[in-house]
Amino acid sequence: MKCAICSREALQNGFCELHARAYRSVLKKYEVWKKALNISWKEYLSEVAKNPFTGEWAKEVAEHLLKAGEGQNGS
Amino acid sequence: MEKYTLIITEKPDAAQRIASALDLKGKAKKVEDNGVPYYVAEREKPIIVVPAIGHLYTVAEEKGGRNYYPVFSFKWVPRYMAERGAKQIRVWLETISKIAQGADAYIDACDYDIEGSIIGYCILKYACGGKENVAKRMKYSTLTKEELEKAYQELLPKLDFALIEAGRTRHEVDWLYGVNLTRALTLAAKDWSGKYATLSTGRVQGPTLRFLVTREKAIRSFVPAPYWEVKAEVEIEGQIFEAEYERDVVETKREAEEVLNACKGKDGVIENIEVKQFQQMPPTPFDIGALQSEAYSLFGYTPRRTLDIAQRLYLDALISYPRTSSQKLPPAINYEGILKGLSASPEYKKLTAELLAKKDLKPNEGKKEDPAHPAIYPTGNLPERVLEEPERRIWDLVVRRFMAVFGEPAIRQSVKVRININGQRFFLRGRQTLKEGWLRFYEPYVRAEEVLLPQIKEGQKLKVVRVVSEDKFTKPPPRYNPGSLLKKMEETGIGTKATRADIIQTLYDRKYVREERMVVTDLGFEVFEVLKKHCPSIVSIELTRSLEERMDKIQANMENRENVLLDAIEILKPVLEELKNKEENIGEQLSNAIKKARLEERVVGKCPTCGTGTLMILYSRKTGKRFIGCTNYFKKRCNAAFPLPQRGIARPLGRNCRGCGWPTVQVRIKGRRPWNLCFNPKCPLKEERGNLEVRNMQ
Repeated sequence: MKCAICSREALQNGFCELHARAYRSVLKKYEVWKKALNISWKEYLSEVAKNPFTGEWAKEVAEHLLKAGEGQNGS
Repeated sequence: MEKYTLIITEKPDAAQRIASALDLKGKAKKVEDNGVPYYVAEREKPIIVVPAIGHLYTVAEEKGGRNYYPVFSFKWVPRYMAERGAKQIRVWLETISKIAQGADAYIDACDYDIEGSIIGYCILKYACGGKENVAKRMKYSTLTKEELEKAYQELLPKLDFALIEAGRTRHEVDWLYGVNLTRALTLAAKDWSGKYATLSTGRVQGPTLRFLVTREKAIRSFVPAPYWEVKAEVEIEGQIFEAEYERDVVETKREAEEVLNACKGKDGVIENIEVKQFQQMPPTPFDIGALQSEAYSLFGYTPRRTLDIAQRLYLDALISYPRTSSQKLPPAINYEGILKGLSASPEYKKLTAELLAKKDLKPNEGKKEDPAHPAIYPTGNLPERVLEEPERRIWDLVVRRFMAVFGEPAIRQSVKVRININGQRFFLRGRQTLKEGWLRFYEPYVRAEEVLLPQIKEGQKLKVVRVVSEDKFTKPPPRYNPGSLLKKMEETGIGTKATRADIIQTLYDRKYVREERMVVTDLGFEVFEVLKKHCPSIVSIELTRSLEERMDKIQANMENRENVLLDAIEILKPVLEELKNKEENIGEQLSNAIKKARLEERVVGKCPTCGTGTLMILYSRKTGKRFIGCTNYFKKRCNAAFPLPQRGIARPLGRNCRGCGWPTVQVRIKGRRPWNLCFNPKCPLKEERGNLEVRNMQ
C-alpha cells in the first residue's frame, strides 16, 4: 500500500515512515494548541496548515487530514 | 654534475620558498623539465627542491574494471593509473625519478601532517627508488626564511613512520568503504534503470549525511506551538525602554490577556536593581575548524574556501600552517618578533605597540593540542603582493585574532532592574563595557552589545507607556550550514581537519544537499534511507568514530594497521552481501530518486502566465532545442514558451527577477562569465536597458 500523501510505501495509519512521523507530531501538538487557544481539531489543522513555521510534511499531513475530514483519533 | 641533496615538497610554491630560503644568496634558480618546475639552491653542497602537486600516488584495486564489487585487494599506484584526467602526473613522476638519480641525500619537506607525510613517503619509496628509509624529515610550521633555515639545520633523522602508517590506513580504509559502497549504489541504480549516475557514500560521508537527514526530518515534521511574549514600555527621563515580562514565554492567550488587564493604566515601581560585573576572557587562537566557522559566520565563506585561502596565505609565508587542530601558541614562535613584524603595517601599528609595551605576553590558549603544529598565527611578514579581498580578510582575521589572544579580559557590567506593575513583574536589562580589554584588538569582528540605562534607584516610580503581548510561535531547529556542519563533525570526532571540508563539498556535488542553509534533497533522503535500512552500520556515527580512534592509535604506535584493515573488511563483507541481495529493490528506489532529482533540477518556477502550471526547461521533440515551457501545455491549458540560449548549461536560479518578479535561470558557457537571465520578454528592466541603449545611440 502506498502512503496517502506520497508514493512511498505506507507503514502505519496509511502513511509512509516520514509522513507518519509528521502525523505523530501533528497529533502531539494539538494538546498545546488546545490549551493555548482553546480551538477545535479542525481549526487547529487549518492553523497548522497555513503557519509558515510548519514543516513541509506536517503541512501535507494537516492538509490531508482536513481534506479527508478525519478526527483526532483517525475516525 | 656533483651529487646534490634532493628536497621534496608538497606544492610548487613551497618548493620555491624553501629553495630561496636555503640558497646562500636568497635567490634559487628555477628550472623546468617537461613543464615540471624545480629549484636549485646553492650552498656548500647544492640542493634541488622538487615539488609534488599534492598526492601523486593513490590507492587502487589490484585488478582492473569498475563494474563489480566487493573489492578487497588494493595497491598504491601513481594517480595517472587510477584516475582519468591525471595524465600530468606521469610526466611529473618521471621528472622526479630522473632528478632523484643524481642525488645522494633525500629530505622530505612536505607539510608535517598525515597527508604531507604520505605524499613524501610515496615519492621517496616509489619515484626515488626506495629512499624512504634513508630520507630525513624537515619539520616547520611557517614558510618564513628563519624557520626554514632552522628546520634545515635541525633535520629529523627519519620519516615519522607511525604517522605514515596511520595515514596509509586511513586512505586504505576510506578507499575500501568508498569504492565498495559507491559501486553498490551506483550499479544498483544503473542495472535497474540502464542509466549511469554516480551515487557515492563513504565512511565519513554516510554519518555526515545522517546529521543532515536527522535535522531535515525534524524540520519537515515540525509543528510550531503558539506562545506569547509580554513587554512593557516604560518611560525614564523622557526615554522609552522596553522591559520583558518575568516569564519569557506565556503559554496561553488567556494568561497573556490577564497580564495586560492587570497592567492597564497602572504605573510601575522599581523594586530591585541588580548590578553584576563579569569578565569576558579573550578568545583562544584559531585552529582550522574555528577559523572556518568564524570565516563562515563573518564572511559567508564555505569551509573549503577558507581552507584554500588559508593555504594560499601559508604558501605566501603570511600565516602558519593552517591544517592544525591546536589551540596552543608556544613561546618558541616568538610572539614579540611577530608583533614587531606586524607593526610595520600602519593598520596594526597602534595595537601591536600596546601589546609590545606589556611586561609579559601570555596567550589565552585553548585545550586542544596538535603534536605537529601550533595554532594558526600570522608570521609577522607583510604581503609582498596585493592580496585579493578574500585573502586580505582572512589574513586580517588571523592577525586580529592573534593580537586578541594576548589582550586583557574585557570587563562588562550587567544591570537587571525589576519593575512591579500592579503585581506583575517585568525586567529591564542594561549592558555596558567597563574595560574593553581584548575586544579592541578583535574589532570589527566582535562587537559588544551596549544598552545603557539612565540613573535610577529602587522605589522610583515609572510611567508605563503601554503593555503589549506579541503572538509568537516556536521555530523549527535551524538548518545546518557548511560552517555548523563542520563544527558538528569536529565535535563528534568524524573525519579529519584535512578532509571535513571536502566531504561537505561532495554532498553538494552529489546533489544530496542544496543551498547554503543545507536542504537535503529527495536523492539525499533516498540514499540515506537505503543505507540505513540495509546497512545501518555504514551510517553509524559510533562505528565511524571508533574507527577514527583506532587510526589515531596507529599514529601513537598503540594499534596495528593490519588489524584495523581486517576489521574494516569484516564490517564491510556482510553489508555488501546485503546490498547485493537487495540490489533490485535498492536500484528501483534510487533510480526513482535520481529521476525525480533530475526533474527537480529543471523546474524553473511557477508559470506567471497561467498561474497554476510549472515552468520547466524542456527539449523540443522535433528540433531537440531547449526552451522554457509550462507543464499545463500538456493539458492544453497554457501555451507559455520562452526561448533559451542553446549553448552551455542553463539551470534555474531559484530567485525571481527584481524587475518583474518572474523566475530566472543562470546560463554558463565555458570561458564566459555565468549570467542570470530573465526570460520575460516584457521585463521592465529589459525595456529600461533598451531605452538606455537607444538614448546612447542618439
